[in-house]
Order: sequence, then structure tokens, then C-alpha cells
Amino acid sequence: MQAVSQTREGLLLVSLNFRSRTIAATLTATILLPFSAPLPAAETGNPTVAEYRAVISPILEKHCYECHGDGYDKGKVAFDSLETDQQIQEPELWLRVLLNTRAGLMPAEQKPRLNLVEQAQLERWIKYSVFKIDARNPDPGRVTVRRLNRVEYRNTVRDLLGVDYNTDHEFPPDDTGFGFDNIGDALTTSPMLMEKYVAAAQTIVAQAVPAAPSKPAEQIVKGAAFEGQNARLRWGKRQLQFHEPANVSANFKTELAGSYRVKFDLEVNGSYFPDPGKARVILKIDGKEFLKQEFAYHDEKSYVFESTHKWQPSEHTLSIELQPTIPPLKKETIIDLFVNKVTIEGPLEKSQWVKTENYERYFPRPVPAGAKQRRAYATELLGAFAAKAYRRPLTQADDDTAERLAKLAEDHYREPGKTFEQGVAHAMAAVLSSPRFLFRLEAPAAHALNAQVADVDEYSLASRLSYFLWSTMPDEQLMSLAARRELRNNLSTQVKRMLADPRAENFARNFTGQWLQARDVEGIASNPREIHIRDAGEEGSLRDLRKAWRNQDEATAKRLAEYIDRLVDAKPEFDGDMRKAMRRETEMFFGHVVSEDRPVTDLIDSNYIFVNDKLALLYGLPDITGPEMRKVTLPAGSPRGGMLTQGSALFVTSNPDRTSPVKRGLFVLANFLGTPPPPPPANVPALEASEEDFKGHDPVLRDILKVHRENPACASCHNRMDPIGLAFENFNALGMWRDTERKQPIETQGNLITGETFTSVAELKRILAQDHRQEFYATLTRKLLTYASGRGTEYYDVETIDGIVKRLNANDGRFSSLLMGVIESAPFQKMRIQATATVAN
Amino acid sequence: MNTLLAAQRHASFSRRHFFQGMGACIALPAFSSLAHGASRSAPTRMAVVYVPNGAIPAAFWPAGEAGGAFELSPTLSPLAKVHQQLQVISGLTDLSANAGPDGAGDHARASGTFLTGVRIKKTAGSDIRAGVSIDQVIANQIGHLTRFSSLELTCDAVRKSGDCDSGYACAYEYNLAWRSHNQPLSPEHNPRFVFERLFGTGSPRERVGNLKRRQADQKSILDFVLADARSVKAKLDGRDKQKLDQYLTSVREIEQRIENSTRMSVKNPDIDAPAGIPDGYQEHVALMFDMLALAFQTDSTRVATMLMSREGSNRSFADIGIASGHHDLTHHKNSPEIIEKVKLIDRWYMQRLAGFLEKMQNTEDVDGKSLLDHSMILYGSGNADGNRHTHEDLPIVLAGGGSGVLKPGRFIKASGVPITNLFLTMADGMGAKGVESHGDSTGRLNV
Repeated sequence: MQAVSQTREGLLLVSLNFRSRTIAATLTATILLPFSAPLPAAETGNPTVAEYRAVISPILEKHCYECHGDGYDKGKVAFDSLETDQQIQEPELWLRVLLNTRAGLMPAEQKPRLNLVEQAQLERWIKYSVFKIDARNPDPGRVTVRRLNRVEYRNTVRDLLGVDYNTDHEFPPDDTGFGFDNIGDALTTSPMLMEKYVAAAQTIVAQAVPAAPSKPAEQIVKGAAFEGQNARLRWGKRQLQFHEPANVSANFKTELAGSYRVKFDLEVNGSYFPDPGKARVILKIDGKEFLKQEFAYHDEKSYVFESTHKWQPSEHTLSIELQPTIPPLKKETIIDLFVNKVTIEGPLEKSQWVKTENYERYFPRPVPAGAKQRRAYATELLGAFAAKAYRRPLTQADDDTAERLAKLAEDHYREPGKTFEQGVAHAMAAVLSSPRFLFRLEAPAAHALNAQVADVDEYSLASRLSYFLWSTMPDEQLMSLAARRELRNNLSTQVKRMLADPRAENFARNFTGQWLQARDVEGIASNPREIHIRDAGEEGSLRDLRKAWRNQDEATAKRLAEYIDRLVDAKPEFDGDMRKAMRRETEMFFGHVVSEDRPVTDLIDSNYIFVNDKLALLYGLPDITGPEMRKVTLPAGSPRGGMLTQGSALFVTSNPDRTSPVKRGLFVLANFLGTPPPPPPANVPALEASEEDFKGHDPVLRDILKVHRENPACASCHNRMDPIGLAFENFNALGMWRDTERKQPIETQGNLITGETFTSVAELKRILAQDHRQEFYATLTRKLLTYASGRGTEYYDVETIDGIVKRLNANDGRFSSLLMGVIESAPFQKMRIQATATVAN
Repeated sequence: MNTLLAAQRHASFSRRHFFQGMGACIALPAFSSLAHGASRSAPTRMAVVYVPNGAIPAAFWPAGEAGGAFELSPTLSPLAKVHQQLQVISGLTDLSANAGPDGAGDHARASGTFLTGVRIKKTAGSDIRAGVSIDQVIANQIGHLTRFSSLELTCDAVRKSGDCDSGYACAYEYNLAWRSHNQPLSPEHNPRFVFERLFGTGSPRERVGNLKRRQADQKSILDFVLADARSVKAKLDGRDKQKLDQYLTSVREIEQRIENSTRMSVKNPDIDAPAGIPDGYQEHVALMFDMLALAFQTDSTRVATMLMSREGSNRSFADIGIASGHHDLTHHKNSPEIIEKVKLIDRWYMQRLAGFLEKMQNTEDVDGKSLLDHSMILYGSGNADGNRHTHEDLPIVLAGGGSGVLKPGRFIKASGVPITNLFLTMADGMGAKGVESHGDSTGRLNV
């Protein structure tokens, strides 16, 4: 037995590291015995191949050869051409077979399906013979070390140092893999990004860490506190506009006698195109003018004006006067002067300074005097900070991180003009630039489960959990549980706690935001005007308008323009707030399914949605007032409910000027059913469809897409996508309900490739949620597992996914069974041990 | 914008854009100091400007004899003012972008192979593999002569979530420059950050001081993290090790840059940094080109790539009355109306190039000639006919005199020549030595 188990482990090691099929094939006998059915006499000596010949091949011959054998090789698959052991045991081929037979896509339409026994035989052979899955100890796979993406970086820095560093603005977007931006393999590091990391670290510590224990007291007069003539308010700031005179003032008190510094923080913010408009601004303190300056257009520019004063305890008045000098040229251009704030520092005399805010957070004790003691203090502070930032203690015997950081700090604070605190801050910037901060380095637990696989250690588990559910570093509770090695034993309590935490919003935002592309809602291009004109079938009027304008027929142009304006103005305004509401709806809906532990089929269909006044208007729901998003129960017969008919999904799957049934069909297949058709052939034949073919009216999309079905090269895939997409045609490219397109009634009936027919989107949703529940469970599991594990799913993950689907089935599809299934799975809990063990510190 | 205004804009499109073309975003400052440098001979610069989705061939190709002068085609017509600085080159191929066994994904392949000349690995993210791009091959040799070995720019500010083209990782569409086979160089999209990387932050007077101070502090930080990275890397293997390698080479490059900065002076333009990303795409492109011209003028770098928009971009152009997406339109079903729209977009991009080339033409270099005389600006796409996804007869314009290496004003008619052959010729022109082959090259293209 000893020899057998060694061989088995040896085999696994070889096949995992090199994926050498030949070596694996010759050694399979020892490993698979426990899981295989009794085998017929093996001609080749390879039981997997033998079983293929004896059991599997006859099933395939009976059901599949009509397209994939006897000289046919549809989709380049011909089972009777599999000859060598290697060809017979090709995992990618059998993964496709597994998924396609399960989904009912194969055998195709009219042909008889495999019966339950055949399907079970096939599945068992694929999973345990070809994939060589050890059901009791599935392969956790290998996740490449993950760099923090820019969302994770931002959140981590906020939790670590209390600084909100806008990485969306400062860092380049992260490359995505498998549809997500947290995939280790896809996250690369370029010199430019590294440069930004170092610069960001310097900026962040300068903002967070006090440079000295005390400093002059500070009071802030907020922009909104200024009152007076034409004092408008926007984004919580006082807004003065360049085209109208304004005069505003605010008061503050000085309690102590001394010198004070007053800083006006203003901002010029103009919309869109540059404008020659100018305005004179006069700043006064206690009625005395200290600045008079003319301001010009800027799309965004900050100004700080300082002055110092000697004051007794008294009341003071600050005033800001704006006089238009050159009015803005264009009506749609607005130039604003924003009053952000005025800061009053003082008394400036050192004897009157106050303790720096947040000082104890970084420096719990006063800085010692002696050089040696200082160095020791720096070592202590920086060791603790590094451990927190690296998300694991610096306990390795040879770890001299704290000492090296203290040396770095000392070299810095010994420079003339530098304080001890600045030196420590400098070393903290080094911590934030280190790969141990920027990458999620993981380590195996002390005791491996076998020669290939170990649990990840508890610190790695803490990070896996926190980056999965919070997109940020673990908090103190997770870290202290990890330190006591009690996290793994308290998973469900911790997961519950984490989901109840506001940070869990990141889960909905980043998972759903990418799975269903809701994050894109605020960025993608759209032309609502064109969409409404096209929907109404008034493109002809628009063409006439342009013609009239070219012909300088102003009367006609005006009439037509007014006509079109009326048509468009009757629709809800599609602005940034609307886009935001769409994104929030998707996040809140998903958040609701998570927090209320709803069945995940709610994501396909539900009797509730989340809206505010704007979104309700778009959806045609009456009596919703106020901008706050809330849960609303849908009236009976409403076509809404679930994720697919939410604005975000309908909007991101549309073109800038019209709907795209193909994109919508693909969206459903890829994200809900997990059976996206293969991409279009490399050289798409040109479709000769001119609009003249559609006599009498502008063609609607159903007409145009008919071309797909008539062309055999397109039909096999478009017959899967187009009917699904066309079922959503009652929703326009902005997600609004419509009864007609280009004055033609909309037809939504169709059928799925698997045979089910539907007449409306409501019926389609019902079919998806009921008849295709298993595929949906598996697809959602696959997506969540990808997001949680930071790698694409591989063929050997089938066992893990099947296990989670089983769990969903046993629990009415409750979200918690999916989530805990993923968290307790091998890919999340374990890691492969490499030849040279990964040790994080 | 109301409907009347939109119609007005559309109808008077060409006139409006003519005027906008006149008004530059930033006036490049004159650098008298440049002329007092040690050397009076000007260096050669090279930029690759990539446009997505190819071009309508019939409107792109000019009339003219091989090797002789040519008349501007409708698409090339915006380049009238720099006509004599252009070579139009037909017959160049990027066959690595053909489907081969990999099936669909011609957009990802077109950009992923364009400068690398190798087949790219079809993967949704697990093992990205392209090759070193030609700009980096050249930068490896001459990059030490300037503060920045190369500059990577884009005007795509927003990315889409989810999958990219047909099973190819998004990295292939959003990056042109590849430092190694698995390390794409992500481009900068914010003109302000380009400016601040080049010249530092703060007011014109403070910024060089700020830059130097920051860099001095960075030196000791980089020493620290190098030690951290080495000890981490020693404990990793396989792909994890590659990730740390990327980190390490990036750190070393910054060290090198800081080192260079101590030897080379920063030629600080006396202008304000741009405020950020302009709202309009046209303004964004113009400002980014201004940054590129500024980088060349100040000799901050000699090698650059500019991705106008990711390959496969579905941007719409409301300014010129095109509400549909670019990519959707390129699959035009041979509808004359749609083809006209694509031509307008092709021309729109060409107008942006024209603005840049005119600026380069009008900016004096240290020897009194123009910046454009000392440049090689390659403009083109890895897709030829966007409708059919072909990669032969790529639409290519090579602008500039290349410090006398190039003989502009001619129409070069090659036939089935890999575009990498042209890259070898450009590498020679840039002074990169011993680049004997690149990707699928078969020799040098005589231009």
C-alpha cells in the first residue's frame, strides 16, 4: 500500500506540474481504482481508455455520430477519430461534452437525448477517469499571486491609514481576465504603475501621518456657511456664478490673542467648452480688501489665497464679492466660482500650539530624546505598521523588516529640517511600495494535507475572505482570530458578521458590477435623443430637418426641430443621476438577495425591484417620489423583476443608438446559462442587407436579424442568441418599455434552442428560472468561484461546482448555500504546495 | 443640446472642424535653452499612432505611381498641409493577426500583434503571451539617452467590464507596447499625469524642484523595496516569480530614470499643466498629442506609442452626427449609407493626426529644422478592412523626415511585405543596432 500511495502522490505531482498526459496516462491505474466502475478487460492497459472503448464509445455512437462521427466533424469534433490514449483523455474536449450534454444543447434539437443512466455513466467517466478528480480531496488549483487592483488598493489604504486616495483617477485601469479585475494572472505591473505606486505612497503618508506632535489650532469655515446675495449651493459647496453679481459673507471667532493665518480655498469650475467669460473677485477680512483679481474660465482649478493677521479675542467677518466683467458667451456654458472653505490657523506662536489630530494613532508615546531610543521606538512603530500592512505578522526568524525600516526612517529624520515623525512616515511609504503590501502573498498552513495540497494558513484565509467580501484588508477581528488559528473554525459566524458590515457593499459593487457589467453603466456612450427618435420612427423627420437646414429653409427647420424636441422632451431625462440609479438598483438588488438570503433565482425573476423617483419614471411605475432608492413590490403582470430587465442590464447590452438583441441574447447565455455560443467565425461574410429590402417601412431589428437565420453560417449560433434577445425588444436601449419600434408592433415570441417556446419576456424568465435552474446555479457558481479564487475555473473544478449546485438544490437555492459552498471549497480553503514552498514572509 | 443645434452642427460639420483644427490646445513654448545644449544635431524621434477598426480601403488609398508623388485620398485629405512629409505605404501585412487555428478575435489580435509581430496566445487571462514590441526593442537600446525610455499614451479613459474580444484577455486590446512577452505597458490616459510625470507637479516655477525632491526620497524607498522583492521572489516559482520579475524590472527602470535625471536637465516648459481629461474626445486627443509633442520637443523621450482608442472600439461620434458605434458601423453590410459614416470617422481620426503633424511641423528643433523633420510617425491599424477583418494591405501612413533617413512625399507600393520589415527599417533610423529580425519580419523594407 505504501508503494501505491507514493506512486499516486508522485503521479499527481507530475500531472499537476507538467500536465503531461502521457505520463499521467501510463500511471492512471493506481489512482483511479477506488472511483471507477469495475472495468472490462483492458486491451491497452489503460483503464480510462478501456472504459472509453467498452462503455462510453457505444453511447457516443448511438447519440452523437450523426454529427460527430462517420465522416462528420461538426464543430471540429469527431469522436471516431480519437485514436491515441492522449486524444481519448483530452480534458478540454470532455469538459465541453459534459457541459453541452448537461445543458441539453447536445445531442442537438431533434435527436434523442442520453437517458439518465447513460448520462450518469458519461459524467462519472469524465469526472473521475478523464479528469482524475479525487472527490475527497479535490485539486484546489493554482492561483497566481494577486496584485491589489485599484479598488482593493484604495480600500486597503483607507482602512490602514484613513486616507481616501482616488485610484480610479490616479492609476491606470487594471487588465481583466475571465471577466474580472482581480485575476492574478491578468494583473501585471508596469514601470509606470510602479512609479505611481511610489508617488501614491509618498502622497498618502504625507496626508495621513502628522509631521510634528503639535501645531497651530485650526478652524474651518465651510463654503456653505457663506450667506448673502446670489449664494447658490451645489455639491455642498457655496457656488457663485460668473454671470451674476454675488456678495456673501461668514463669521468666525478668535478666542486667544496672537497671529493668525487665513487661507481662502476657492475653485473655478467651468462646464464643457472653454469660454471667454470673466469675473472680478474681491476678498475682504473684517471689511478690509486683501485681494482683487479677475478670474477666467478653467474646467477645474483650485486657488488658495493666504494672509496673516494679529488679532485679539474677537469676532471677524470674511466676505467674498463677485462682479461679472465679461459675461459667459454661450448659454449652455456655466462658469462657477466655488467657495470650498476658509481655514484659520492660529495662534501661530509655538507656545499656543495644540496637539496634532490623529497624532496618537501613529505615535502613541512622546518621541524619546536619545538616538538609540529613537531608533528603538521607530523599530517598534514600523514593525507593527508593516505587519498590519502586509496582513501577517513579521514573525519569521530571519525577518529584519522592522530594523531595515527603522534604518530607513533614521537616515531620513537625520537630514536637516526633518522631524522624527517625517522619518517614520518616509519608511511607511516604503512599506506601501513593497511587494509584500502590493501583492497578496499566501502561505500554506504548517501541516500539509498531503504532498501536494495544504490548507492556506489562517492569515491567507483572512485575506481571502476580506478581499472577497469587502475588497479590502482583514480587520482586527479577522487578524486576531487568525493569530489564534480560530478563523477556520468560525467561518460561518465571521461570514455573517462580514456581510452585515457596510464594507460588504464592495461585494455587490465589484462582483455584480462585473458579472453583469453594472459598473459600466456610468461610463458607456449612449445617445438618448437618437434612441427616442428611432423608436418613434421619426428618423425621416430628422433627415428632413438636416436637409432644411442645409437649404437654409429656416421655417421648416424650426418646425421640425420643435416637433422632435417635443417628442424627446416628453421622455424622462437620461442623465448621470439616472445612470447612477441604475447601477445602485443592481447593487442593492444583489445586496438584498445576499442579506435576506433569498433564492438566487430571484436574480432572474422577482416580484420586487429597487427604484427611486427617476428610475420609477423610466420604468413607468407611478407614485414614487424622492431620490432615495427603495424596495418596491411590483404590480401583478409587471414585466420587470429580476436582474435581466433592470435598466443596467438592458442599457449595457445596447448600442449607442439602438438595442442589440444579439448582445442581449449573448448576455443571457454567457452570464445566466453558461452556454455562450462560440465567437463568430474569423471572417464574417458580408451581409447584403440594404434597407430597401424592407418595402414600406424602416426595418425593425427582427427583420434585420432574419438575415442571420437565413444564412446557414450564422444560423447555428444566432438561433441560440437572437430569439432570447428579441424577447427583450419591448425594452428600448435605455431600458424603457415600448410597444412599437419604428411604428411597427414588437413581436417577442420565440423559442430556445433546447425546445421551450415563449411569447413574452415574462415567460422567458419563468423558463430560465425553472427549466434551466441547474445551468443557472452552475453558471452563477462558476462566476462567484472565479471572483473569489482569483483564477479562471478549470476542468477539475467541476467537482467543486457540482458540490455547490447540489447544496443550492438542497437549500431552495438560498444565497448562503452558494456563498458558504464557495468559501468552504477547496479552491478557497487550500493551495497547491510547490516544489519550493511559497512563504509569504 | 437641442435638435436644431445638433442639425446645425451636423450640417456645418466641415467648416466647424476646420476652425477647431486651427486653434491648438497648448502653444508649445520656444526653447532657446535647447539650442545651447552640448550638441546641435537633433535626435530622431519615433511614435506609433494606432487607430482601431481599420479604414474603408477605397477612401483611404491615394492615386499615384509606385515610388512617386501621390494625390491625397478623401480619407487622407486632412493632411494637406503636411503632404510633402508623408509616405503612404500599401501592401503591408500583419499575418500574425489572421485567425489560423485560433478562430474569432481579430480585433484583439490586430492590436496585440501590431507592434509585436508574433501570434498572441488565445487566453481569457491565465497565460497572456505576446512578444516584445518594436518600440521597446528600440527603447532598450536608446532609452538611456533620455529621461524616459519610452512613453505610452491612450485616449481611452473608460474600460468595459467583463470579457473582451472572443476569448482574448483585454490586455491585448488595451495595450500596444509590450516590455516582455507577458508584460504589457499600460498606457496613461490623463494628459495631466503625462505632464506631471515629465515635468513634476506644482506651479511652473516649483515643479522641477518638486520633482527632484520626490525623486531623492524615492531612491531610498526603492532600495528598501528591492530587498523586499528579492527575498520574496526567492521563495516563489512559476508564474508567481514572473509577477515579481515584472515588479523588479519596473523598480529598476525607475531607479534608472532617477539616475538619468541627475545627469540630464529637465527642460521645463513655462506653462500650466493641463487640468485633467477634457470632456470631449476630440479635445482629449488633441491635448494628448500636445503632450506627445512636448515630450519630443523637450527630448524627454524619443520613443512613444499612442493608442487612439482600443482595437474594436465602439465609440460614437455625436459631434459629426454619428450616433452609432464605430465597430458596429464597420460591419457595414455594404450599405452605402453606413460606409459613408465609417469614412467620416476615418477622416475624423485623420484630422486628429493632421493637427499633431502640423504642430510638429511648426515647432522648431535645435538645428532650426522642424520637429517633424526629425521624426518618424507611423499611423495605422492592424486591421485593414474592418468589415472583413483583413490584415493585409494595412492602412499605413509614415510621416516625417526621420532626420534625413526617410524620403517623404512618395507612395510606396509594397506587396505582401510584413509590416515588421518596416519596423526594422525604423529601428535602423532610430539608431538601434543589430536588430536583425522582429516577429515575422523577412528583411528590411526599403523606404
